[in-house]
Amino acid sequence: MPSPAAPPAAAATASRFSWSEGTLARLWPPAVTFVVAVVAWQAMITAFAIPVYVLPAPADIWLAFANNPVPLLGHAGITLFEAIAGFLLGSLLGAVLGTVFAYFPVIARGFLPYIIAANTIPVVAVAPIIIIWFGHGLGSKVAVTTFLSFFPLALNMMKGLQSYDRTIMDVFHVAAANGPQRFFKMRLPSALPYVFVGLKLNVTFSVIGAIVAEFVQADKGLGFVIMTSYRTLAMPRLWAAMVMSALIGIVFFALIAAIERLALPWHSSHQDQA
Amino acid sequence: MAEADARGAMPSPAESLVSIAGVNLVYGLRGGAPVQALRDIDLAVAEGSFVSLIGPSGCGKSTLLRVIGDLLAPTAGTVGIAGRVPREARLKREIGFVFQEAALLEWRRIRDNIALPLELRGTPRAERLAKADALIRLVGLDGFQDAWPRQLSGGMRQRAAIARALSTDPRILLLDEPFGALDQITRDRLNMELARIHEITGVTVILVTHSIREAVLLSDRIVVMTPRPGRISRILDVDLPRPRSLGSRDDGRFDELVRIGNHELEKGYRDA
Repeated sequence: MPSPAAPPAAAATASRFSWSEGTLARLWPPAVTFVVAVVAWQAMITAFAIPVYVLPAPADIWLAFANNPVPLLGHAGITLFEAIAGFLLGSLLGAVLGTVFAYFPVIARGFLPYIIAANTIPVVAVAPIIIIWFGHGLGSKVAVTTFLSFFPLALNMMKGLQSYDRTIMDVFHVAAANGPQRFFKMRLPSALPYVFVGLKLNVTFSVIGAIVAEFVQADKGLGFVIMTSYRTLAMPRLWAAMVMSALIGIVFFALIAAIERLALPWHSSHQDQA
Repeated sequence: MAEADARGAMPSPAESLVSIAGVNLVYGLRGGAPVQALRDIDLAVAEGSFVSLIGPSGCGKSTLLRVIGDLLAPTAGTVGIAGRVPREARLKREIGFVFQEAALLEWRRIRDNIALPLELRGTPRAERLAKADALIRLVGLDGFQDAWPRQLSGGMRQRAAIARALSTDPRILLLDEPFGALDQITRDRLNMELARIHEITGVTVILVTHSIREAVLLSDRIVVMTPRPGRISRILDVDLPRPRSLGSRDDGRFDELVRIGNHELEKGYRDA
């Protein structure tokens, strides 16, 4: 009388195996690409005697970092702090505003056109204004980052909270659920996939925001390193700073993706197939 | 005070669990041509009985079910469930509702989906999980309590939805075409599960369906409805012996009842 179907325990085990195999399968092609590219790059520099200010060799970039790593790491730490602080502040602000928008459509209609308009302003144009307002310290860099990483979550939070299934709403109605129960047990879990889309966008934007703010005005941070290296044509150092800023973004993104995997076990299996 | 109101609004004989009197429902009163979804519905459903609502699309059968389940309010008339207005019956968790889609929460395992109404009521965790496990056995989902809804077939998802609707031990189970999207074999199987659950639990069932054969197979009474405006055209008593099985369809009386039901249904289509 029960329907014939694969026992779920076996299915779960199978998917766990295919996950680890899938991770390997996903990781080796980019790793091979990386090694081949670096070797080819290094060989090309040597073969064609390309000047270092045009394109430094991978070894030069590595030495620019390895010969004096502590100051660069210090600058990276500053940028990382600005990115994380702005990410957290912006995401929190975005989540709250997105929730308000989802529950009060009139407020959303009143504010959204201006928020979308503000979102289209290039951050390089806004950064000087924010730095005038918030001063020359870390606060202004965090403010620029907050400004950038607030829109994606606000919009995705709103969209996510509105994306619940109407029949599930009926189920909650029949079960006499109260407002907080509807929010925490239905609308918020329904919104989580959207929330993570917003958070992943914010990760990228928060690193961009921190570095752009440092371009405009700073005496520390990777953006500062890039600007000063550019002025003195210290290209290997500039490249090293660029690689470090990319690494910050990648590690940060991977962290959010890992949290997503933990928070949405019902959803991540679905993503693996895609 | 609300209690007194409810009793005042209950005009029916004592043995009826559900009493519907003079129910009308009109859509679009403000602007646009008003549509009368339900006209002058009177219906009494005896406690423990199995009643089907059948009729062509637009006859208001789902609307009537949603009125009983307090998902819609009638424009006029009264509905009583065990002496209460639907809203109170709902707040007392006396109504179980199964929809056409299983509407399971994808982020919860099957056991936690089935325990959801108890969780919303504030039942302690151990108690509600024990109840969920008992229901999992009742609907034949043994071994799937820790599965994600995504891993289940359509028929199994509806089994879970039925178990969830039964979790608060409701006095009435409302089913809105729950098997409409399933293939015939799965549908037959779930019909028999439903008949068995009805017999074991004694819960009163109102089933909305398109299928006269399904209605005859399962019901004590079949309420045939016609559209524009939605009203009851005939109530058929099904005198097939219980317990029912798929073999009940071999009974000559089964074919006769299907014939009568089809004839009555065709009238509704002719008028439409």
